[in-house]
Amino acid sequence: MEQIFFQAEKLTAGYHGLPLIRDLTFSLKKGEILTVIGPNGAGKSTLLKSIAGLLEPLGGKVVLGDGELDSLPRAERAKRVAFVFTDRVRSEYLTCGEVVASGRYPYTGRFGLLSNRDRDVIEEGIELLRIRELRDREFDTLSDGQRQRVLLARAFCQEPELLLLDEPTSFLDIRYKLEFLSLLQEMRRGRDMTVILSLHELELARRISDRLLCLKDGRMDRFGEPQSIFSGDYIRHLFDLQADWFDETGLARLSDGI
Amino acid sequence: MRERSSNAVRRAAALFLLAAGCVLCMACSILYGSISIPLHEAVETLLGQSVDEVASRIVIEIRLPRACEAWILGGALALSGYLLQTFFHNPIAGPFVLGISSGAKLTVALSMIFLLGRSVRVSQGMLIVSAFAGAVASLALVLALSGKVRSMAKLVVGGVMIGYICSAVTELVVTFADDADIVNLHNWSRGSFSGMTWEHVRISAVLVFAAAVLVSLISKPINAYRMGESHAAGLGVNIRLLRVELILLSSILSACVVAFAGPISFVGIAVPHLIRRCLKTEAPGWMIPGTFLGGGLFCLACDLIARMVLAPVELSISTVTAVFGAPVVIWLLMDRKRED
Repeated sequence: MEQIFFQAEKLTAGYHGLPLIRDLTFSLKKGEILTVIGPNGAGKSTLLKSIAGLLEPLGGKVVLGDGELDSLPRAERAKRVAFVFTDRVRSEYLTCGEVVASGRYPYTGRFGLLSNRDRDVIEEGIELLRIRELRDREFDTLSDGQRQRVLLARAFCQEPELLLLDEPTSFLDIRYKLEFLSLLQEMRRGRDMTVILSLHELELARRISDRLLCLKDGRMDRFGEPQSIFSGDYIRHLFDLQADWFDETGLARLSDGI
Repeated sequence: MRERSSNAVRRAAALFLLAAGCVLCMACSILYGSISIPLHEAVETLLGQSVDEVASRIVIEIRLPRACEAWILGGALALSGYLLQTFFHNPIAGPFVLGISSGAKLTVALSMIFLLGRSVRVSQGMLIVSAFAGAVASLALVLALSGKVRSMAKLVVGGVMIGYICSAVTELVVTFADDADIVNLHNWSRGSFSGMTWEHVRISAVLVFAAAVLVSLISKPINAYRMGESHAAGLGVNIRLLRVELILLSSILSACVVAFAGPISFVGIAVPHLIRRCLKTEAPGWMIPGTFLGGGLFCLACDLIARMVLAPVELSISTVTAVFGAPVVIWLLMDRKRED
């Protein structure tokens, strides 16, 4: 378990050939949760998208286990990496059951027929995320918190080794945020999943993360355990906060928002 | 569990009703017309035991191929519309609305006049190839437009404009064509199933059914793609390949229709919407057979009306499909839950 499982090496990515993140190098052990924090526009989504394969890296590479991610065939990659991003699901008449079942896509054959094993995994995902009563509901009609859980169940069905989440809590109220936190930890425990997510809520990040990656202007400003990142006035530096906005009690005040 | 299986039963029943409707309409198309043919005589003719020479010619040589062609091409149009709607994530897309039918019409008219002017016999193959070229060319224009404009409404308006430009050029070309060509062109450019022969049926059946089989083979990625591109990409769908496949298949299908029957409006846009409402799903496993049967039924019924209402004068098929299809599109516009 002490071995390095995930590694980004000099990862550079961006849009239209212009890098938004540069030379990111960091590594994780299997089952760790990494949270990416930083001001708006620092490149958090860009980093997650390039690991997800939605954005081709401009330089560097990402290694998962024994292989480079970009050299994997699509289906293979989808079996190892799943993501839940904020993109809208656009379809009428799409039931939650169908959304969850689509997580088995990389495992099914030419016509997408589900095997018994596929069905078992789907049931497990539905059980784990407690969405049984949503199963026949249309995805469109759900609340944000419910959608989040359905998409997490889909990601679970991909049985990934690496799960990527882009600001998964931004539309959730406090109750769902806390619920999400415990769900994430359950998923990690059950599957020994490595998780990389981005968060705005610092207090939440401090609580769930094994590692924190601080992005500023597209570069890795710091990488380490939450205790060390949150000690001193580093956070103030990261977000360019003025001293009188932020002090020992100010952290509590700022994070009331979680 | 029970709710899901009852849904499946309901959908299967709907498909069965559509198929039954197709059979019924096909029977009516064979029996009714300027000369009505009694059922027993038609059956005898089809079994090859008929004595009545005239009736058997009408049934075998005129009405049956026409009905088959209306069914096949109607299905092709609706399926093509479904693929375009999938591609653009928009229920208002369709081969006619996006100017694809008109583009195909233009190239077919040009090649007909060019070839007839040189007294070359125009083969069906040439017409299909030129229709396909026109369909792909105007679709390429629409795609270039869709890269520029993000709003679907603007894209549809752009497609309609492309359609108008192509139609205007076609009219222009027809105006300057020789008399002999015009008769040919004029009927065809308004859209009609009249004059279909078994050769037409054979060629279009091979093309359309081959395309339909290929569509079924990509139903799995289509199912993932309907959630949205990034969702599908995350599941391992090769988005670029799928988009090319959708474009090519829908172009082949609508080109085939234009080459044989001319441009036919509103089938590609209205039928998938009706079928979606009636099956209450967008899963391609249901939508592919559903739209095909629905399009076939719609065109069979419209062709029957086009022949019967003002007999012996025959209406153009687009007149009838527009009367029934356009209100569906209006309903669709008002029915949309969200506007993007």
